[in-house]
Amino acid sequence: MLEVVLFYIASAVALLATILAMTRANAIHALIYLIISLLAVAVIFFLIGAPFAAALEIVIYAGAIMVLFVFVIMMLNLGERGDARERQWLQPKIWFGPAILSAVLLAEIVYLMGTVQGPATVGIVTPKAVGLALFGPYVVAVELAAMLLLAGLVGSYHLGRRALERRH
Amino acid sequence: MNSDQLLVLSPIISLSLTALILMIQASIKRDHRIAWWISTLGLLTTLLSIYSASNFSQDVGPLLKVDAWGLWFSALLIFCALITLALSRDIFHTQADTKEEYYLLLILSTLGAVVLVQAAHTASLLLGMELMGIALYAMIAFPKSGDLPLEAAVKYLVLSACASAMLLFGFALLYGATGDLSFAGMGAKAASGYLNNPLLVLAGAAIVLAGMGFKLSLVPFHMWTPDVYQGAPTAVTTFLATLSKGAMFVAMVRLILDGQLYRYESLMNALSVVAVASMLVGNWLALRQQQIKRLIAYSSTAHFGYLLVAIIALPHLGDTQQLGRAAISFYLVAYIVTTLAALTVIANVGGEEDSDMQAFDGLFWRHPAQAITLAVAMLSFAGIPLTAGFMGKFYLITLTLNAQLWLLLGTLMIGSAIAIYYYLRVIFTMSAEPHQLNKGSPTVLGWRNPVALLLMLAVLAIGSWPQPLIDLIGRL
Repeated sequence: MLEVVLFYIASAVALLATILAMTRANAIHALIYLIISLLAVAVIFFLIGAPFAAALEIVIYAGAIMVLFVFVIMMLNLGERGDARERQWLQPKIWFGPAILSAVLLAEIVYLMGTVQGPATVGIVTPKAVGLALFGPYVVAVELAAMLLLAGLVGSYHLGRRALERRH
Repeated sequence: MNSDQLLVLSPIISLSLTALILMIQASIKRDHRIAWWISTLGLLTTLLSIYSASNFSQDVGPLLKVDAWGLWFSALLIFCALITLALSRDIFHTQADTKEEYYLLLILSTLGAVVLVQAAHTASLLLGMELMGIALYAMIAFPKSGDLPLEAAVKYLVLSACASAMLLFGFALLYGATGDLSFAGMGAKAASGYLNNPLLVLAGAAIVLAGMGFKLSLVPFHMWTPDVYQGAPTAVTTFLATLSKGAMFVAMVRLILDGQLYRYESLMNALSVVAVASMLVGNWLALRQQQIKRLIAYSSTAHFGYLLVAIIALPHLGDTQQLGRAAISFYLVAYIVTTLAALTVIANVGGEEDSDMQAFDGLFWRHPAQAITLAVAMLSFAGIPLTAGFMGKFYLITLTLNAQLWLLLGTLMIGSAIAIYYYLRVIFTMSAEPHQLNKGSPTVLGWRNPVALLLMLAVLAIGSWPQPLIDLIGRL
């Protein structure tokens, strides 16, 4: 029963954060809400017995990919005007909404860590099980994902270099 | 994995190896002639490996189902890729360097298509579709000059991303209803899932089919088609129109048959609406096009509407389901070969920027072989006897009659009647008095003439002597 309540709280946070992310005019502010949304999804993963997926969600999505986004956006705004704009972005009131939402998630996760027993309904998927599935029956999918990344890399290399040549 | 399984997977392995060899070649010496030859040899090796793989029937895990049907379509897709390669050899000659990536992307996209036709699991379906799509975005935007290719690529990218998102969401709903991600498992458990929660199954399946409809440019998801067909280099248009759409359609047939989606009547009714709309709107919009590539884009919407009729007819056939599969295979082969013939001529004659109808004024006097090929292709699209398109339509109409789907049959007839007007208009344009601008000396086509002639002979052969192909398809 308690898990269900926690699930709905986390889902509400995810929905709210996503809606806010879509409606922000400023890309950086939208990204912060998107990170909150991903964190909420990670909490949901944790609740349904997939702590490994929850960890990956945070490390890969909220961590690597979002930081990359923020980096690119900030690098496009270098110089004096960029500094001024950044100061404007980082006003305290901007942090208010994301802070509340992530505080809710933090409270949930602290509570979950404190309770001894895990979710009762489903078995927990361990990293070992994920690895065995990926490199057992689904090994073709792993290899195909490698090819997919290669296609993305080569394609973006070609288009990116074209943009550079145009500028010079 | 044992050695038999590797042999069964050898078409996929061979394509991946070709891509890797191309990468290594690019790091040693960048030369586009060498890259072209490596790609051609790789595709030919893949054809051979498809032949050898057809001797084995081995389970290769949950992701792929390598059967005779999938292998036959894989071979057809490799053939499309080979024709695209032949067309691409000269088209980028204006740009001085770096054309090797194009061949790498082409091989990767073909790999995605081959995975797509053999997919038996939502994961492999999605991976195949994305691999095919991501390589295609870059291929569409490949030319360095002009903004049209870039615009086409962005349109295709954004709408494909929407389609992928819809597909994923639909799969999630279906997984919620059935608890299985393989097509067969979904089909087996969908009945009980439907009893528990009919909305979940229906909504999931409908969203998945809508996502696939984007890639097949069925109405109402057809908006991107003309711009992308027009903006892409003609060789890439050929690739998109034949390989990408053909592979997606085969995947859709597999999902509907193995996932037993045909059992839900409301879903099939929705598909009927899409089919009727595609046949009418596609043909109607094609009527007024002045650009031949846009005309082919809208006509492809109509043709996939016809093909959808065959899928809808399947559950009504009872014990003659084999006929349905044969009709789908035959029509798809006829459509792909005809499209290859038409777009080969457009690539040869129209050039890159100029696919305006005026470029084809008086083509019969300037390039008789090309003009005859285009005329045969147009007649085949229209379904005139002795061409491949006629046999395909004949199959479809027999199927629809057997299934007693009168509304769809009527729409198919009306659509075909409208279509004859604009297909014949192309032929009239070609036989008109040569345009003032085009009276200069004709461009030398050299070895690209026989490619077009070969495709024309294929269209005529399938149409006038279809028995070998019918036998072959019947055995699949």
